[in-house]
Amino acid sequence: MSMDAHQRSSEAAGESFVKPDAGLQPPPAELLELAAGVSETPPLAVPPGEEELLQERRAPSPLRESLRRLRRDKRAMASLGLIIFFVLVAFFGPPIYQHIGGIYQSPQNGPVPASVYHSYYHEELIRQDEGPSAQYWLGTDDLGRDILARLMQGMLVSIIVATLVEVVDIVLGLIVGVLAGYFGGWIDQLLARFTDLMFAFPGLLFAIMLTGIIGPGASDALAKLPIIGPNGNGRLLLVSLALAITVWPLMARYVRGQTLQLKEQQFIEAARTSGSSNLRIIFRHIIPNLMSIVVVASTLNISNTIIGEAGISLLGLGVQAPGSSLGLMISDATPYINTHPWEILVPTTVLALIVLAFSFLGDGLRDAFDPRSKD
Amino acid sequence: MLQFLVKRLIGLIFVIVGITFITFIMGYLAPGDPIRAQMGDHFDYHTWLMLRHAYGLDLPWYQQYYNYLVHLAHLDFGISFKYQNRPVWDILKDGVPVSLELAFWGLIVELLLGIPVGILSAIRANSWIDTLNMGVALIIYALPPFVIAILAQVIIVWIDSKTGASWPSSSWGAPWQYDWADLQPKIVPILVYGAAGYAYFARLARTTMLEVLRQDYVRTARAKGLRERVVIYWHALRNALIPLVTVLGVAIGLLVAGTFFIEQIFNIPGIGRISLQSVIDLDYPVIQATVVLLAVGVVVGNLISDILYTIVDPRIRLE
Repeated sequence: MSMDAHQRSSEAAGESFVKPDAGLQPPPAELLELAAGVSETPPLAVPPGEEELLQERRAPSPLRESLRRLRRDKRAMASLGLIIFFVLVAFFGPPIYQHIGGIYQSPQNGPVPASVYHSYYHEELIRQDEGPSAQYWLGTDDLGRDILARLMQGMLVSIIVATLVEVVDIVLGLIVGVLAGYFGGWIDQLLARFTDLMFAFPGLLFAIMLTGIIGPGASDALAKLPIIGPNGNGRLLLVSLALAITVWPLMARYVRGQTLQLKEQQFIEAARTSGSSNLRIIFRHIIPNLMSIVVVASTLNISNTIIGEAGISLLGLGVQAPGSSLGLMISDATPYINTHPWEILVPTTVLALIVLAFSFLGDGLRDAFDPRSKD
Repeated sequence: MLQFLVKRLIGLIFVIVGITFITFIMGYLAPGDPIRAQMGDHFDYHTWLMLRHAYGLDLPWYQQYYNYLVHLAHLDFGISFKYQNRPVWDILKDGVPVSLELAFWGLIVELLLGIPVGILSAIRANSWIDTLNMGVALIIYALPPFVIAILAQVIIVWIDSKTGASWPSSSWGAPWQYDWADLQPKIVPILVYGAAGYAYFARLARTTMLEVLRQDYVRTARAKGLRERVVIYWHALRNALIPLVTVLGVAIGLLVAGTFFIEQIFNIPGIGRISLQSVIDLDYPVIQATVVLLAVGVVVGNLISDILYTIVDPRIRLE
């Protein structure tokens, strides 16, 4: 093996984003192992069909490397599994649950089918504060509502709010952050002042104020929208909006910092020298390189968002009865903590699990995408 | 140093004016007429006009905002909408010492428990003590304060029911009084209140201490034969504490955010609960006053941590 080829392939292994030019000779085995994390000896002569395979081994993309590190993180993978489980339960649980069980002869309401008594809003007032049973899998609350049905609806609410907030967070954070980092100038100044303000102004306080002051009017106005409907979910949009306003400056600040670093790198300079427009540089070169930081920051932020929604509902300013939310369930059960602690333990535990899962997954993603950040 | 402080002070004034503006404009633009809401069934057009004038609500917004700022500068928060003829300060004044007491002891818990635990973890890095400490801190830090508060309450109630004891699960004693009857209900809320910050400081103290223990001057100290205790407490610890000072501001922010939930769940008559009640009552002057008070708390906390930073790390002063 010539010295030249050896050097070139070691570069390829060290900086994995450098595409190796169609090398005539495969690089040394130990370097390949380092790069790809496989302990097989690479074939010495390459059959034509396997050329692609070899390419993969030579230069695993940074993304592939990160995903491999993530897959090895047991805590993060367990969290991911738990999150998928919760999402499936929230989406497919209620329709399945409402088809389980026969007609219940209620002394109060007459014959009630499972699709009604397994809904999150039906009150069976003579079946209050029951423990788990065949009819009510997790028991009933103080108004005789099915706790499992309310729990699943609450999880759905958490997921909806988290999704809405993250969409706004990512879109606004990316746009403002990239503009501020790439062009600087007044938009950068404005962002800096605004983030200072939002950091000094406790985000939750702002959300509480916004939902408290505009909330009562907004739920009436929003109840006319088809999906939200009159079920007390009218404030969901408002809560999401309030939380989104408080979180995007942080995302913008991360994005800005990363953009500043990227801007100085040689491949951007190369793109500019070869005549790419600013727009093209931003879309083709900057934004793809921001994806890892955006994914990590938004995953970590999801747990804050879910805490925020639950907290606001807990304080009585979010989702209103007969709608359901984990925070509202906690607040409904608070007066019965002495007599029926079960009712408060169920939503609290589920909320704790969801929040822990998202922050562990976020930590795992961060370690996977940026191994140096591990302490 | 002076230049640095002046710069920070200007930034601080900007932030406070911004906060007052946001709170003012939110109250101004809010749908619904607070006077009308307070009058309820006793609506009478003439009284309505009179009250509107008395509260200055018939002026254009910039004049209202100016008046509001002028009053604020005189520490006059105005008059409550809900309890007419009652100044806002009269409503707040009982809550302020309670919230300050809670914050003070919460901060003490964070610092006096969090930092030693973090340092211990760093010294015994990767032992079972470290793993246990950091596992607990990780979970506490990730959980929202109200979840911890509710779990603590459930445990109190459960122990009470098992042993027949009557440990209070939601009340508060007289502020800054420490007879057993006053102290007993405060213990759990303060511990819960400090929990998030405890975890934050424990994790950070471990990281900074590990960083410092890797430094050359620590190796030199060991190489010249100093005892391990001297190396750790004299050479390493003092330098490990510097970064911790800078995050005091973050800790105070955590405390302010925790106020609402801890006070609501444990039934503590502090600023957080008054603020929440005023939001529910749409009592704008009280909302504005509590928001400004809490935000000033955060900003002043940040300023104090900046000043401390220049004291513990002289290099900052040279800038």
